[in-house]
Amino acid sequence: MLADDVVDCHVLVIGSGGAGVRAAIEASQYGETVLVSKTIVGKGGCTTMAEGGYNAVMREADSCGIHREDTLKGGAYLNDPELVRILANEAPLRMGDLIRWGAVFDVTDTDEIAQRPFGGQRFPRTCYAGDRTGHEMMTTLVERLDGTKVSLMQEYTVIDLLMDGETVCGAMALDEKGRFILMTADSTILATGGGTKVYDISTNSSSGTGDGYAIGYRAGAELIDMEMVQFHPTGAVFPYDARGRLVTEAVRGEGGVLINSIGERFMQQYDPERMELSTRDVVARAIATEIQSGRGTKTGGVFLDVTHLPKERIETRLPVMLEQFLKFGVDIRTQPMEVAPTAHHIMGGLRITPECQTTLPGLFACGEVSGGVHGANRLGGNALAETQVFGRRAGEAAGKAGKRDKTIDLMQVEQQQDRLEAFLEGDENPAKVRVQLQKAMWKGAGIFRTAPDLQNTLKTIATLSSAKIKAGSPQNLGECCILQNMCLTASLICRSALIREESRGAHVRRDVQQPYDAQNSPFGHTFLSLSRQGIEHREVGA
Amino acid sequence: MKELTVRIKRFDPEKDEASHFEDYTVKVNDGARVLNVLHVIHDTLDSSLSYRYSCASGQCGSCAVRVNGEPVLACMEEARDGITIEPIHLPVKKDLVVDLLPTLEAIAFLQPAEHAVLPKKSEIDAIKPLKDCIECLACVSVCPAVDVTKFLGPTAMRQQMRLALDPRDCGDRIADAVRDGLFTCTTCQACWKVCPKEIEIPSKAIEKLRAQANQRGFTLPKHQEVALLVRDTGRSVARTGPTFAELLDADVVEPLGAVRATVGFFVGCMYTVRLPRTALDAIEVLKRNGIKVIIPREQVCCGSPLIRTGQLAFLDTLKKRNMDAFRFRGIDTVITMCAGCGSTLKNDYKTPFKVMDISEVLTKYGIETPAHLPIKATYHDPCHLMRGQGIKDLPRNLIRQVVDIVEMPSICCGSGGGVRSGNPEEAAALGSRRGEEIKKTRAEIVVTSCPFCEFHIAGHTDKQVKNISTVLLEGYKEKDRMKAAGFPKGKNSPD
Repeated sequence: MLADDVVDCHVLVIGSGGAGVRAAIEASQYGETVLVSKTIVGKGGCTTMAEGGYNAVMREADSCGIHREDTLKGGAYLNDPELVRILANEAPLRMGDLIRWGAVFDVTDTDEIAQRPFGGQRFPRTCYAGDRTGHEMMTTLVERLDGTKVSLMQEYTVIDLLMDGETVCGAMALDEKGRFILMTADSTILATGGGTKVYDISTNSSSGTGDGYAIGYRAGAELIDMEMVQFHPTGAVFPYDARGRLVTEAVRGEGGVLINSIGERFMQQYDPERMELSTRDVVARAIATEIQSGRGTKTGGVFLDVTHLPKERIETRLPVMLEQFLKFGVDIRTQPMEVAPTAHHIMGGLRITPECQTTLPGLFACGEVSGGVHGANRLGGNALAETQVFGRRAGEAAGKAGKRDKTIDLMQVEQQQDRLEAFLEGDENPAKVRVQLQKAMWKGAGIFRTAPDLQNTLKTIATLSSAKIKAGSPQNLGECCILQNMCLTASLICRSALIREESRGAHVRRDVQQPYDAQNSPFGHTFLSLSRQGIEHREVGA
Repeated sequence: MKELTVRIKRFDPEKDEASHFEDYTVKVNDGARVLNVLHVIHDTLDSSLSYRYSCASGQCGSCAVRVNGEPVLACMEEARDGITIEPIHLPVKKDLVVDLLPTLEAIAFLQPAEHAVLPKKSEIDAIKPLKDCIECLACVSVCPAVDVTKFLGPTAMRQQMRLALDPRDCGDRIADAVRDGLFTCTTCQACWKVCPKEIEIPSKAIEKLRAQANQRGFTLPKHQEVALLVRDTGRSVARTGPTFAELLDADVVEPLGAVRATVGFFVGCMYTVRLPRTALDAIEVLKRNGIKVIIPREQVCCGSPLIRTGQLAFLDTLKKRNMDAFRFRGIDTVITMCAGCGSTLKNDYKTPFKVMDISEVLTKYGIETPAHLPIKATYHDPCHLMRGQGIKDLPRNLIRQVVDIVEMPSICCGSGGGVRSGNPEEAAALGSRRGEEIKKTRAEIVVTSCPFCEFHIAGHTDKQVKNISTVLLEGYKEKDRMKAAGFPKGKNSPD
């Protein structure tokens, strides 16, 4: 059977978070642009859940050079320096776009954009809208999007890219009823966000299932540093179903302190200089260590306390935190929160040039699905900036790319349809497989790693990947595709983690001793594609 | 872990002619939310169940559903045994998934000015409360006006207000808001009572937009007439017969027995001018229950019809006159029997005295038991009592002492917010809906506690519409009649 429907356009943007919408806004200046989204635009993705802020140099006393240095240091010098330079230089410009388009960021008493301190930065550089910064950005971006001619395809699940030989020429998708459609485009932008939903405990929204990594990998793109998974230090620990829910770094930025069960402000032992505002990798490991050493709370966390702050400050700067904790019976104005690390962000992803070109012709990537900007650990506040800086760059480059003749590969379409039909005849409950995957990843590819654990996890993933998962009806086909993406993403994380035989940033190999610090590491990016895998070596300056 | 059973409304347009309920029993973790229950059902019992979610932390507005009739975010509402889960009142696509897109797409967007500047802190502070909206559309789903007239709904108005406050926007927000139905809102408050972010859209957006519309000359002619009447007579309605003051002819009414409490009586325009006999009924009930009532003659319209329609020019004069009228007599408690006046005095004034609805006063001091009448009644919740003052059970408890109550859904009758005068067709459509609900209850009378509701509903039902005071007084009259006839002591007999 052939697809009922083919949508053709100049630029196809996949994903509707901060990066995707920014890319679509930009691309629409150059030609017909279609934005396809698994969710309703503005409601899906993780941007809208991002709480803390957006890093941008906005003051004379700060400089893009310092932002660059902070980002490289925080990233354990694994970042692509050129991408970091672009991030620091362009973040203020893109902030200007948001302000021009109506974003309501907090301002100081002297009517300047307010900035709060965030971990690993030498200057209070994080612009914010209370603790709903990402939501403020999304509403602004969606309003701007409404003012363009971008066509929206909402609640369509992209399942794979369309290939014209070696060139990406669009994508295949399912609508909410499971009907198959094709989209062809001169340029395709992957802006599908992250994938820490492959872990049992995660901050991500329902869309954080790693689809872009899997889709890109299957199409032949190269991915780098997939082992670099950020565990956010502070996720909720109870009730059980809310475990992992993000407790923003802004809580610490505003003065929150971390206390273990015997009343010690334990960051003293791990980073006495930066304390709670150390980088996320350091704070997450500190908390995990405290808990593993028996100094955690009954619910398996540590205390995060803001009760010493003025109530009014908590109410105006952290209103979402206050509201969420109140819903679960904790008044953070008078009671400490309990927190533990939670899988938050994947620093790795598709390898991109400064123009967001991936290793595949016709395919661009921006936002969390791309790799290289954050190195081995992302600074809080750099992800929102990344979505805007590289979203715009991807949109521009894709828009400016030429038109071309596209041939739909009927073989590929048929193979895809066979894959879908197999799901209808499967027998394994995908939800069961998903839970097993998430537990295995949390256990074997979490904050602390060893080669044997990673190998075992890979074996488990292989078994789970071969399960004949079942779609109860066509409307469940998307869920099956997504589960396969999760399995593939998980395997990419484990494979890369095995390849990198060193501890660096967020990636800790307990089975490896190394005599050097991050700055003097002989290693560069890990890389994975259908045709090769390995780790780059680099010259270390004496 | 705990086990619970929930009932879910299912509908698949490809298979079902109509929706139906299905029960599911599941094991969930302690503290599980409604969303977690849906996950367990989908993952273990029935993968065909459709529902929408994304962030699972109250930030994206994807998962609004009705639990036991009330819109909530499935991800934040704790799951309880025995709940019924239904889609919110918007076109259903499948099961709990509703079509949000037409409403979302109609919400206005900022049109950036040529030389946009960063708003000042004062401007940011004004805009911020309106930007908490996560567009879950719970507000739209409960808005009575959206159903019967051309109105884009509460959150669309919120957005127009947010844009009107923003110096970077160059659209004409007031004209657009008027076009999109600004004057169709009955200010029933249903929207913000279900808002997960508690954005007070009627007072923070709609009334403010109406005030700006007033400056721009958009106020409806009928509303202007009301304002002129208030300015010239101190009352928002014209007299058609003797007024309350003329009929009562006293400034102070002593109770029949010992004085248990003394209150000032804020009568309100409708009870003063149009329904004075109902107010006299209230006086009788208060008298009988030991409440001494002082009625200052200087009191005027509370200003509600002006505030709701954005005509604020002489509001402060009214407020001062009313406050002085009671303050100068040293009154510490003011009683209202008009839901609109009560809500206005409580929410729009800063009074030096306590304001209580008559049902609060009667409940506080307790009432003499009336005779129970063999009549089946239904109770209409006045919006400005139930939502404006949070009073829902007190009137019911009082009424039940006289008659039995058959419940009906609490929906606006259509008379508020200047809609009865300004948009009579919309008011009539909503009134007819009330009439249908009343009919369904098979009640013989309708009891309520707001003169606007009484007046309006009476035009849309063949049942008698009575004020709570009138019903209580009828109970007392029956009690007196039985006593006079020498009935033996029994369940309904005098003490």
